[in-house]
Amino acid sequence: MESFFVRYRNLLVLLALLAAQIVGLAMQVHQSDTGQMSLDPRDSGGVRLIRLWAYAVVAPPERLMHACGAGLSGLWTNYIDLRNARTQNQELQQTIDRLRLEQAALLEDARQGQRLQELLGFQEKYIYKTVAAQVIGTSGNEQSHVLVIDKGRNAGLEHDMAVITADGIVGKVRDVFPYSAQILLINDQTSGAGVILESTRVRGVLRGNAAGQPVIVGLIADSRIQPGERVLTAGGDEIFPRGLPVGVVDKVVRDPDQDGFIRVLVKPAAHLNRLDEVLVITSTQPRFPPDQSADMATSEAEKGAEVEQQLDEAQKKAAEIMAERLPGLLEPNVPADQQPLNDSSNPTPVAHPPMPLHPDRFTPGTTDQNGLPVPGAQTAPATNDNSAPAKPADSNGNPPPQRER
Amino acid sequence: MAVLMTDTRRDLEIRRYPLLVYALAPLAALVLQAWLPRVLGRFAWFDLPLVITVYFALGRRNPIQGAVMGCVLGLFEDALTHHAIGINGVAKTVVGFLAASLGVRIDVENSMIRVILIFLLSLLSSGLVIFVNRFLLGLTLSTNWLVEVYAAVGNSAIALVTFPFLDRLQVRD
Repeated sequence: MESFFVRYRNLLVLLALLAAQIVGLAMQVHQSDTGQMSLDPRDSGGVRLIRLWAYAVVAPPERLMHACGAGLSGLWTNYIDLRNARTQNQELQQTIDRLRLEQAALLEDARQGQRLQELLGFQEKYIYKTVAAQVIGTSGNEQSHVLVIDKGRNAGLEHDMAVITADGIVGKVRDVFPYSAQILLINDQTSGAGVILESTRVRGVLRGNAAGQPVIVGLIADSRIQPGERVLTAGGDEIFPRGLPVGVVDKVVRDPDQDGFIRVLVKPAAHLNRLDEVLVITSTQPRFPPDQSADMATSEAEKGAEVEQQLDEAQKKAAEIMAERLPGLLEPNVPADQQPLNDSSNPTPVAHPPMPLHPDRFTPGTTDQNGLPVPGAQTAPATNDNSAPAKPADSNGNPPPQRER
Repeated sequence: MAVLMTDTRRDLEIRRYPLLVYALAPLAALVLQAWLPRVLGRFAWFDLPLVITVYFALGRRNPIQGAVMGCVLGLFEDALTHHAIGINGVAKTVVGFLAASLGVRIDVENSMIRVILIFLLSLLSSGLVIFVNRFLLGLTLSTNWLVEVYAAVGNSAIALVTFPFLDRLQVRD
């Protein structure tokens, strides 16, 4: 018996190692209601412990390498490569001014949308708080599109939080450790995000394919879907807020598994293969965050000043046009108080229109500015002669003044 | 055929390395495997833990040590992914065992043999990963075989550079 173990020692050790791992694998999968096998989205205690150990070993050197790389890169970009910084700064300032005006213009629409949503009993969630994180590593596996970031539970991160960049969505937090977290990218085969096509309003589920490209699956063939159409988050998955950019339609292909269905290949808006910094959405609220509200207030104030300036310019322009069209009434080189219309010393006063033969309550001088009849200003009875109608005299017996036109 | 057979005393020598090399080489492989795809993007076609597993298995010529080292590195790799832990562990356990078993029988000093060996073992590792995923676990994950071939070529190229460097670190009597 002893010779058996000695003789087949190598093979027995191999079998023992394989058996232990296969048993461990079997404990990590379960059968879903549809009969398909799938991995538990949440790791069990033992598996999570192994992942924790692995990250405890690998994350510190990764963080160190990232810090070294970032330091060298920062030295170059912040001190050496600053040739066009001033020009770029001016361009960016102009862009900010333009965007502020656009934001103020869109603000009213947003507020109206909020009011309508309140009426409908639906509240959209806005990105209220985010945590910026650096990408320090990957899974290192072609089949597992996972990133590791340098923020974890201590920074307030939790399972299933959305991860985005300024360009578009990136993925969601899968596993959280004290000082790092694992991000499952949207181009992984096991990921899923509710999306909507911007113009055709077709909804679908986004996931990755074997080549690592996001695909919208389970869509009925629709000729309206064309390459170039924007894809946005639909907001129904309880992870990504509605309306965030996902990418654009790259290609529409027939679904090989289902007749009459198509697959829409999406070119992601975020550069999933070259991510350095990401934002983790740690809180969403049905109102705008304080810094965004302050920004919008600034935009509104700037827009108000801009509108006043535009109104002044418009009035000036109208006066100039009027001056050009009525050269006899307004002299361009004469001050306003000495214009022929306003100058009382003018020997040739402006001729007023003759009084009507049959004045009524619309006749100038018979009504006040609100259109109400002037007390005592009764219309004169119609006469057959061509003389001017009798006007009521004031208390001093003077005739009523003629209104200037 | 004479090239392939271990008919000399030198070929049967078991290589020894400083303890630091045993600790740092696998760690460096794991860290670089996780870090380099950030730089290279989707062109990161290599598996550094596999290269290290095969190297030490061939050098030590001990199937148990090869299997254990493959098992540990494979489990570490799995722990960094979001997949089940043990998929790469099974694959690299088998690869480490086979590499050590082959190291006893063939001349591993020849660079060409090493390159061919690591190319074939890379393909075997990919095949085992797919086998475990599809047949043992019943998971429906698509695989791009072209990428697996690229990874095998990448591993061979890295082995050409890495193996001579690691050879210099061995303890000589």
